[in-house]
Amino acid sequence: MTPTTYRRLELGALTSTAILLVAIIPWLHANGTISNFTIGVWGKYLCYALLAISVDLLWGYTGLLSLGQALFFTLGGYMHGMYLMRMIGDLGQYKKPLPDFLVFLGWERLPAFWEPFASFPFALSMVFLLPGIIAYIFGFLAFRSRIKGVYFSILTQALTYAASIMFFRNNLLLGGNNGFTDFKFILGYNLAAPATSRALFIATAMAVLLAYVFCRWLSQTKFGLVQQAIRDGENRVLFSGYATAHFKLFVFVVAALIAAVGGALYTPQVGIINPGEMQADKSLEAVVWVAVGGRGTLLGPIIGAITINALKSWATRAYPDLWLILLGGLFIIVVLFLPGGIVSLPTRLRSAWQIFRAAPPPSPASSPKPPLT
Amino acid sequence: MMNNLTRWVRLALRLTLLHGSIALAAETPRQLIVRATLAADAATQRAALAELMGQADTAIAPLLEAWRTDALFIFTTPEGIKIPVLISGEKTAAGTATASRLTDGLPLTDAQGNPLVLTVADLAPVEHNASLRRAMKAVLDLADLAATEPEKRIKAISTIGLTQDVEKLPAFRARLKIETDGAVNRALREAIALAQLKNPLPAAQLAALNELQALRSLASTDFLKRALKEFEEAKDPTLAAAARAALAAVDEHRASVDFFGTLFRGLSLGSILLVAALGLAITFGLMRVINMAHGEMIAVGAYTTYLVQAMFGSGLTIPCFGFSLPIFGLNLTGPAYQAYFIAALPCSFLAAALVGIALERSVIRFLYRRPLESLLATWGVSLVMQQGLRLMFGANNVQVASPTYLSGNWLINDVILGWNRVFVIGFAIVIVFGMGLVLTKTSLGLLIRASMQNPTMAACMGVRTPRVNMLTFGLGSGLAGLAGAFLSQIGNVGPSLGQGYIIDSFMVVVVGGVGSIGGTILSAFGIGGIDQVLQQYLPYVAPGLNWVPGIGGFLQNLAQDAAVFGKILVLAGIILFLQWKPAGLFPTRSRSLED
Amino acid sequence: MKTKVSQILSLGALALSANFGTAQAADATVKVGVLHSLSGTMAISETSLRDILLFTFDEINAQGGVLGKKIEPVIVDGASNWPLFAEKAKQLLEQDKVAVTFGCWTSVSRKSVLPVYEKNNGLLFYPVQYEGEEESQNVAYTAEAVNQQATPAVDYYLAEGKKKFYLLGSDYVYPQTTNLVLLEYLLSKGVKLENIGGGFRKDDSGKIISAGKYTPFGHTDYQQIVAEIKQFAASGNACVISTLNGDTNVPFFKEYAASGLTAETCPVVSFSISEDEFRGLPAKQLVGQLGCWTYFQSINTPANKKFVAGFQAWLKKTSVPGVVKEGRVTCSPMVLSYVGVYLWKAAVEKAGSFEIDKVRAAYKSGLSFDGPAGKVTTQKNMHVTKNVFIGETKADGQFKIVKSFENVYGEPWLKGKF
Repeated sequence: MTPTTYRRLELGALTSTAILLVAIIPWLHANGTISNFTIGVWGKYLCYALLAISVDLLWGYTGLLSLGQALFFTLGGYMHGMYLMRMIGDLGQYKKPLPDFLVFLGWERLPAFWEPFASFPFALSMVFLLPGIIAYIFGFLAFRSRIKGVYFSILTQALTYAASIMFFRNNLLLGGNNGFTDFKFILGYNLAAPATSRALFIATAMAVLLAYVFCRWLSQTKFGLVQQAIRDGENRVLFSGYATAHFKLFVFVVAALIAAVGGALYTPQVGIINPGEMQADKSLEAVVWVAVGGRGTLLGPIIGAITINALKSWATRAYPDLWLILLGGLFIIVVLFLPGGIVSLPTRLRSAWQIFRAAPPPSPASSPKPPLT
Repeated sequence: MMNNLTRWVRLALRLTLLHGSIALAAETPRQLIVRATLAADAATQRAALAELMGQADTAIAPLLEAWRTDALFIFTTPEGIKIPVLISGEKTAAGTATASRLTDGLPLTDAQGNPLVLTVADLAPVEHNASLRRAMKAVLDLADLAATEPEKRIKAISTIGLTQDVEKLPAFRARLKIETDGAVNRALREAIALAQLKNPLPAAQLAALNELQALRSLASTDFLKRALKEFEEAKDPTLAAAARAALAAVDEHRASVDFFGTLFRGLSLGSILLVAALGLAITFGLMRVINMAHGEMIAVGAYTTYLVQAMFGSGLTIPCFGFSLPIFGLNLTGPAYQAYFIAALPCSFLAAALVGIALERSVIRFLYRRPLESLLATWGVSLVMQQGLRLMFGANNVQVASPTYLSGNWLINDVILGWNRVFVIGFAIVIVFGMGLVLTKTSLGLLIRASMQNPTMAACMGVRTPRVNMLTFGLGSGLAGLAGAFLSQIGNVGPSLGQGYIIDSFMVVVVGGVGSIGGTILSAFGIGGIDQVLQQYLPYVAPGLNWVPGIGGFLQNLAQDAAVFGKILVLAGIILFLQWKPAGLFPTRSRSLED
Repeated sequence: MKTKVSQILSLGALALSANFGTAQAADATVKVGVLHSLSGTMAISETSLRDILLFTFDEINAQGGVLGKKIEPVIVDGASNWPLFAEKAKQLLEQDKVAVTFGCWTSVSRKSVLPVYEKNNGLLFYPVQYEGEEESQNVAYTAEAVNQQATPAVDYYLAEGKKKFYLLGSDYVYPQTTNLVLLEYLLSKGVKLENIGGGFRKDDSGKIISAGKYTPFGHTDYQQIVAEIKQFAASGNACVISTLNGDTNVPFFKEYAASGLTAETCPVVSFSISEDEFRGLPAKQLVGQLGCWTYFQSINTPANKKFVAGFQAWLKKTSVPGVVKEGRVTCSPMVLSYVGVYLWKAAVEKAGSFEIDKVRAAYKSGLSFDGPAGKVTTQKNMHVTKNVFIGETKADGQFKIVKSFENVYGEPWLKGKF
């Protein structure tokens, strides 16, 4: 396959997926073929796909295994959640103009930092700003002192852990472990209405497509090449005169923003955001999606996130006792026998088929080299 | 048979009536207890028990003890007459036993004089509740003033002392004259001083306050505060000043107790972190395998302890994926049973080591060149193992009882030193030394170090590195198993036991410097110590945090929850520390570029 | 042609929809949802509730079902994952169209599914003690409200002559809320602020917004807190009110016993330790500590004996995978689940229909059911009136009942009441 035909093929697939997600599925939902439940669940999967893309951008393309992406995802969710909480107005349990948990904690007027969240543009900008700033500060410190490899993973995990302990507290005034729930309106539209879920689904699908296109574009620029070079041999890049820390910092912040957008779209569709989402194992789960789907590719994380979550939706009903074993086992098998993930399966099958036909053995170049860690 | 019973009951009835008539004159302690057991309401029972106070009958203590431990029963005859009995002797296999009457301590007999055999399950136990137990305790405590063991005497004295009962003063004074034990003496002086605070004479009160000041008695805090308030209201400057001085002395003492207590607690938390992280220091530190299933190795050790305990006890059946796996019990009792923990230590090590070796052979050996992927695969292993444990042992925690030699404490100058905590400190020292010896003095240790430093070179020299890798991983896992055996004594044993320690263990190893055992030790004690200091002293600095603009009030409240905030601060501290020393306390130096 | 295209597309969409096989309901059955965590951290408590519900359904089906229809349970796993709870609730209501759901343990799982039930006008029976401050028309709270658990325990302590109260809990909403209510209650009973231990948090105006000592989830090190309690209790007449959750109870009580504190010197009443949790605790070190629930297995009535024996017999013969058969006990959340099913049945039979609005109206009209712990009566506010018991723990893992309060009205709105 020549690069041009490949590119044409990819463009075609991308366009048809876009049409499917943005037009056909919503249309089927509107005429009632697809249920509200299904579109809600698929909206959730697509949010997870954004989280998976953010993990892959770091891990698959830059060699930074971050175990803290769930933190940025949740922060995005919280920022949007604060707006949604304000939109409840006085329809809460206490029928007061404050969020319920604040009424309970004895607040009679809104704490100052809650005030501006009544404005959607402000909340939207916070969805980007807060995770972005935290990622910038943390990344700046970490990359400046050249923390990498497993140290980076464990530090990001520590950051997430500390944040989750913090968010569990009532006194942070962000709802404690219950988090935010019981949302009613978004931009004046009733969240319970099917049309609103449809609109949210379309928005999520577009966000995933945009993230895909952006990362695809980035990986082909010179920047992207340096990024991948850092993954494969950071010191050599450093000695070639590139300030690798700057590159890594940029990617880290971008990845945090993608995760945050995922979280912001997740909150209204799922109807709850709470600190449980930022616990250490959620980040690890996202890494699993990427590994299963195929890291170092852009399609892989999306496929992985959707496959595993669909599997989870099904298995938690069909085999509640065994699904953890299923998930864990799948994971071991993928890491051991299928390092390229699901997306490498066609190539593998093809080469296996060629061996089977006793044709001359395929040239080693035909199978993609798994990226180094 | 029925005939016999009826005849016997008539006899019993006559006996009861007889005793009833005596009771009108003056009840013996036994009769008082009988009356208490048969009374319908707790108030009457308490009143009857109160009459026992100060009586010096040797029958009282064992009977009340039997009541407290559910060995007293009411035997109801077919006619409906209730006779309180004490089950004497061991129960037979069929659950029957002979009993003695409470009224006179003689065995229950039928008309022929043969001991009556009762089925224990058919008897109604004599109920008791907290207030009754307290009443019994008050009776026993006073009797305990003359107990032979000093601990018992101290306990009795302090319990009575807290009631500030002036009527007990003569008994205390009499005891003080003949008491020789220093600690008991102190307790007596404290109890007398507390009671004297109630004395209307100012001179006696002043003496009591001075005494409490000299004793620096923690127990007197609330009494002193109350007294101080009274004196201030009564405008008595001398007494108020004395009370203030006494309180100051007590507070000063408390500060030093807190300080030494914190020191000890830091040491013990550090030991726990060290014990939990030591296995990881080998698998992660030396072998560079990021073993996310390390926590489950700890859980394997803890569950092994549970199994060994069951083997020493009455056995167990494990539902194992559809099959039932019976574990036979040795039905041991007493010290032999208590020794289960000693036997559990090597078993836990072996069990976890075997699981570790199996894991190394089946998964990890394929991933030595891909450390980050070992993280993912072992996380999968951890999920599978957690759910496996859940399926085998149930989702619930299982019970691991502490043997008696690990469940007491020493009280040194009011600082509590729990035996289990002292044990873990000693245990940490022993395994650190043991591991040091293995690594530096044995040929296996030499091979391990060689293979870890330069596997290719070691292989060239003829070292069978795959085998060494396997053994090293087994050693690391075994150490995790030992940690599990120990953690079963202070925490819960459940399928997700390991999850509570995994992040902490990684932090300890990373802060210490991957590959440096010495660093691991230092960082474990550092983190443990800092955590305890923060927990103890954060509330004191909380008011000082108010100046921070904007979030001052928030920080102040956060600092009140020292356990939560301490943890956050430790994590933040670790993140900042690694900015300063990215490779930990003791980095392993290497000349290679990519390391 | 157009319809054909849309059919093909919808087939594709159906295949996409992760909707793997939902059994078609026969007419003679009524679908009932069971929404509990069967995996993850909460499985430890919630699997027991699944078991008791299945037992109850079998018992009712054996008697002929509800309105002549057999109950067909639809069991889903919330997997201790709160957003997944919401997804599963949607699935139960929108796809399986269940008539009623029995489920949830944690407050956050209830909060997570609440909007789903309100939107779809479903009915959820919630069986576990909770912090109150909620009254949804779509939730039947058979659970203990704070005044059916925490305040009776305080009354008991006060009657026992306790003067100092130490509040300890895990750092989340239920303990924080309960302790805040308890603080008001204790102050109203004349307990002085300095005799309430654990610390206070104040807002800028100096008003107390939180009381008690809190530890994070999964905390394992209680040395410092126990040392603090030991000093707090040094002058006698002290007690501890614990809202620690699940796993953290074990290290706390082990430390507590090791420090020499006992039920006689300073008793602890725990609101989250029932017979079921007790199985994993060092029972000998806990003897004499208190629990407060609306049911104990040791209740000595024929109704309870029949219930326990029935459940044990069901365990023996059941073939449901994942049901642990050995060493099972019954506890308050289990009985409240059991009672919930019967109250729902009574409501359906009174309404003569499975329609939610009619069932709700019947439920609110004050139905009664004689359960294992005595009479339970539904109230207008979706809560229930029931008996409250205080028990002391025994070495065999059971509770000895030391005090009972009859027919306590379930009041969710307690803050500011005292």
